Amino acid sequence: MEYLRTLRNNNVIYSGTRNNFNQQTTSDFSIRFVFSGNERYNIGKRQLSIHNDSFLILNKGTHYTSTVESAIPVQSLGISFDDKFLQDFKNSWQLKDDTLLNLNTYPFINRYEHEFDETIYPFKGDLFFNVNHLKHHLDRGLQDELLINEYLHHCLINYFQIFNEEIFQKAQRLNFLSKSTKIEILRRLNLAKEYLYSNYNTNISLDELAEYACLSVTHLLRTFRQAFHQTPHQFLVQIRLQRAKDLLRNTDYPVNEIVNMVGFDCPSSFIRLFKDRFQTTPMKYRLSF
Amino acid sequence: MKIKYIPVFTNDIEKQVAFFTENLGFEVYGKKNLLPDREGILIKTNSPDLFIIVLTDPDQAYTRSQIIINSHDCLSDYHNLKMAGVVFFNEPHYLPMGLGAEFFDPSGNQYLLIEERSYNSPA
Repeated sequence: MEYLRTLRNNNVIYSGTRNNFNQQTTSDFSIRFVFSGNERYNIGKRQLSIHNDSFLILNKGTHYTSTVESAIPVQSLGISFDDKFLQDFKNSWQLKDDTLLNLNTYPFINRYEHEFDETIYPFKGDLFFNVNHLKHHLDRGLQDELLINEYLHHCLINYFQIFNEEIFQKAQRLNFLSKSTKIEILRRLNLAKEYLYSNYNTNISLDELAEYACLSVTHLLRTFRQAFHQTPHQFLVQIRLQRAKDLLRNTDYPVNEIVNMVGFDCPSSFIRLFKDRFQTTPMKYRLSF
Repeated sequence: MKIKYIPVFTNDIEKQVAFFTENLGFEVYGKKNLLPDREGILIKTNSPDLFIIVLTDPDQAYTRSQIIINSHDCLSDYHNLKMAGVVFFNEPHYLPMGLGAEFFDPSGNQYLLIEERSYNSPA
């Protein structure tokens, strides 16, 4: 099902199967989701790939191209927020008593009022639930704009929470005195993360990862562990396992083929890692659906 | 929407749980983190899918809703109930176990509408 909804307040929602190639400039701040398959965005020299476990933030005015490289149909959802809606949201969020009392918990409110971090974030928690509810209603033809905007308002709350968790809370873990250094290092570590998210199925060397993140290998390893409590390799394995799980559930590919598709070398180590993480074997997991 | 929990507030959780188990013959079903920093004890009743939740709230700082209604989609139910004239005294907000909003009935009794969310399963 494909639809493009422009609400009376100029928020825009697009849902459908993407074409093979799409070239655009974002007119507003927007969030991009993929529910099946994967979509690759080229922004300048960066190539970002989103799956159903992640989402992408695009700032107003960003020029991008997107391509679909997927064996299964790519269902995507894009939400663009009108400037005024975004500003009203920020004003109301700032005035909430609990927010005012917790400015240390939400430092981005003042310091990053006009700035969003354009990268890939994990699609999880309340954002996952609210976006899925919204899509469910829109797919069934919901016309009530008050309700649609209620969901959009909550999508922004949820995005800010994820942004706060992924940027500021993790920056606090870094062993640097200066707050601005912490934030800058965290931004670079997020570049490393987006590289892993986007190239998880290739053989990634630490050198190329460090170069992409503009950090030395030593610095990358040390700070990545400090911020995320795991190594880049552990993070990569986590992504591969999650995406293998998705392929097991949604496709008929043989397990051996999935092993190669997600970037593992050896089926036996894949099965061991899968069992460690999900407490079941890949075949048992597939048969449970 | 269906009624899922009946909250009971107490200053002495052990005494209250003992009342349900020893005097009334109900069973302890588990624990549930309903309110921030307040762990509740779930008591299984004779009705399937209906639980009593025993909560400590000595300072009465939190909700005293008498009935907790389960919702599959809190934002949608909140919106539809509001359109139908139900008076909510707070907007949907995030609780440890999901998204909730509270409303009054015409007699001033208090209800909590909650969409329980399993944050470990997706993504």
